Amino acid sequence: MKSLADAVGASGLSGYAIVALVLFVFAFVLILIPLMAPSRDAEYEADGRMPLDDLTPIPGRTPAPPTPRPQQHA
Amino acid sequence: MEARLDSFSYDDAIVRKFLFATLLWGVVGMLVGLLIALQLANPAFNLGQYLSFGRLRPLHTNAVIFAFAGNAVFTGIYYSTQRLLKARMFSDALSRFHFWGWQAIIVAAAITLPLGYTQAKEYAELEWPIDIAIAVVWVVFAINFFGTIAKRRERHLYVAIWFYIASIITVAVLHIFNNLSIPAGPLKSYSIYAGVQDAFMQWWYGHNAVAFFLTTPFLGLMYYFMPKAAERPVFSYKLSILHFWTLVFLYIWAGPHHLHYTALPDWASTLGMLFSVMLIAPSWGGMINGLLTLRGAWQKVVDEPVLKFFVLAVTAYGMSTFEGPMLSIKSVNSLAHYTDWIIAHVHTGALGWNGFMTAGMIYWLAPRLFQTSLYSKKLAEWHFWVATLGILLYVTSIYSAGITQGLMWRAFDETGRLQFPDFIETTMRLMPMYWVRVAGGTLYLSGMIVFVYNIVMTWAGRPKTYDVFVVQAAPLGTYVPPQAAPVVGGAWARFTGLLWHRTWERLPLTFSVLVAVAVIVASLFEILPTFLIKSNVPTIASVKPYTPLELVGRDLYIREGCFNCHSQMIRPFRHETERYGEYSKPGESIYDHPFLWGSRRIGPDLAREGGKYPALWHVRHMQDPRSITAKSIMPPYPHLLTQDLDFATIQKRVDVMAMLGVPYGDAINKAESMAHAQADLIAADIEKAGGPAGLKDKEITALVAYLERLGVDIRAVKPVTTPPGGN
Repeated sequence: MKSLADAVGASGLSGYAIVALVLFVFAFVLILIPLMAPSRDAEYEADGRMPLDDLTPIPGRTPAPPTPRPQQHA
Repeated sequence: MEARLDSFSYDDAIVRKFLFATLLWGVVGMLVGLLIALQLANPAFNLGQYLSFGRLRPLHTNAVIFAFAGNAVFTGIYYSTQRLLKARMFSDALSRFHFWGWQAIIVAAAITLPLGYTQAKEYAELEWPIDIAIAVVWVVFAINFFGTIAKRRERHLYVAIWFYIASIITVAVLHIFNNLSIPAGPLKSYSIYAGVQDAFMQWWYGHNAVAFFLTTPFLGLMYYFMPKAAERPVFSYKLSILHFWTLVFLYIWAGPHHLHYTALPDWASTLGMLFSVMLIAPSWGGMINGLLTLRGAWQKVVDEPVLKFFVLAVTAYGMSTFEGPMLSIKSVNSLAHYTDWIIAHVHTGALGWNGFMTAGMIYWLAPRLFQTSLYSKKLAEWHFWVATLGILLYVTSIYSAGITQGLMWRAFDETGRLQFPDFIETTMRLMPMYWVRVAGGTLYLSGMIVFVYNIVMTWAGRPKTYDVFVVQAAPLGTYVPPQAAPVVGGAWARFTGLLWHRTWERLPLTFSVLVAVAVIVASLFEILPTFLIKSNVPTIASVKPYTPLELVGRDLYIREGCFNCHSQMIRPFRHETERYGEYSKPGESIYDHPFLWGSRRIGPDLAREGGKYPALWHVRHMQDPRSITAKSIMPPYPHLLTQDLDFATIQKRVDVMAMLGVPYGDAINKAESMAHAQADLIAADIEKAGGPAGLKDKEITALVAYLERLGVDIRAVKPVTTPPGGN
């Protein structure tokens, strides 16, 4: 562990916050850019409806048949 | 190809079990909360050794977090997971084991905490056998949950499931690593970490317990139950993706903001602050996503108590997640830390966000689970308004108390001296606010009792036997969608089309591993330097291990829960050094397994308590605090003067400490005799000063030894009660 301790110790603790920030911004951008791209909207729309299409039978009624969701890839 | 449909039913019996457990423990936890609020307003409500503030406060926090909120989370997860995955739970037997195991753990907590068995770590107080049980039950829950994912009939994992996955993985990691300890008896252990490192691990755990037990699973519930109640989809599924990943990535770094201006290295504190401030973005993204889910349905809020609860819950989430980042800013924190402000902040989240999400969810679930209509919508409305008023009274009074405390502690008069040098002056100023809190808590509890009554009466109206509804869905792998979208374009098209993310969402193992990586990498980023760099914890030559008697006295301090009210960490501010003495150094607590820095000052800091008062003062003070300070709200501890000290266990405790690296030297072989020698000295000193005789084998001598030792090493002042040749 001595070498690891030396390596961490020599890396300069004051820069940790900046390195951490850069890491986060990288991950954030990785998610954000594709999200902003105007594609797959229909898929997201369908995904967002999942709680409303969960086959929960309404008491006193026959369960509704399942509705195939669009854009479902194998 | 035509889809082949599987027929199956959901296991709602387990959901009903967790629902009732939520109600039961909610009442118990809040009742204990009301009792400790009364104890702060009037110490006469400390009802003896086992029902004093120091022992009940952890019972309250554990009951509301792990019993009430925990069972609420399981209620929602068991209901929504089955429906979102179109599958019955993996194993009914594992579901039942999870339920009964969790309730057994709660009962064990309810017994051991009042008895004084505690690890002295906030929200991680339970001793090692119970910790092992928690790990086992949690793993069983995880097997059941991931097993259900494995046999699901819905390829895409809805965002609520992501939040559940993150919660299950992270809570396991946090629980295991924060609770690593060496047993020193059947219900006694010492943390393997000490001082600064223990403080870091504890608040890495403590903050993320709030994040991954009280936030992410409830966000999963929000993303499922709000659309259900509003009968419309979540406002933005894209935003939910951003919300999830940003939250998971940021939350785990934020823990050190609980230790600003303490002996924690500044780089860690700054890192915690930075990430805490950034947390406001995903938190508010989630809040906005929740509230805008009601777009076009706001008129329903007027008539529908379920939606009222959800709206207020999400609003409370927004308020507390604005306040949290604000409190993490060092300058704000310097005022708020150790004060009731933090308690108000916590209760905005707990009563508003967790309490009202739970209420809204159960009001929505009850008619569906009990297959009848809700007993009384009017009572639900009444619950909402009474509880809302209760929250308002609670938080406004305690915000006022916190800011009053913070300002009074730091006030100097025109001559440059502390304006309120006696700690009791601030305490007395808070009394009216503490009584308003009692009123607020009473209202909230009243609402809870009405809630329970309403749900029980709904249950009473259930059919003789529940209908078991059969639902149908195509198994994965047999269903070929009619319009599968072809993947066109190159790598950029796949990237911007978020196809890579959609792949993750459908591969639960990959998704879970990525969540674990995000959590573990962030944790290691802070943990490794804290543990590996010696400059983080510079040693101080004059700081020596506690004597065997002082060690057992420290254990009594832990047993009585003194750390719930007294800090042992003086921050480097003039108003603190004027009041308490020299600020605390990291090297002072290197032998403290566990650390006892505390997080709150209901009473004064004790880091420099040694040598301030004679031993007899401590005896009188512990026996009857109001005989020393008339308006003190400290509970009395007369039993310490009558209960025998268990000398026989001291050697084992010292041996475990030595195993953890504390340099005990001779004490390894003669801890008991050393303890007797020091106890004789202290008892003689007390008797000589006019105090009671015959205390040499009583618990009070050990506690006095510990209190007399606090802070003396760094001042090079030996306490009068140190035995010859002792440390």
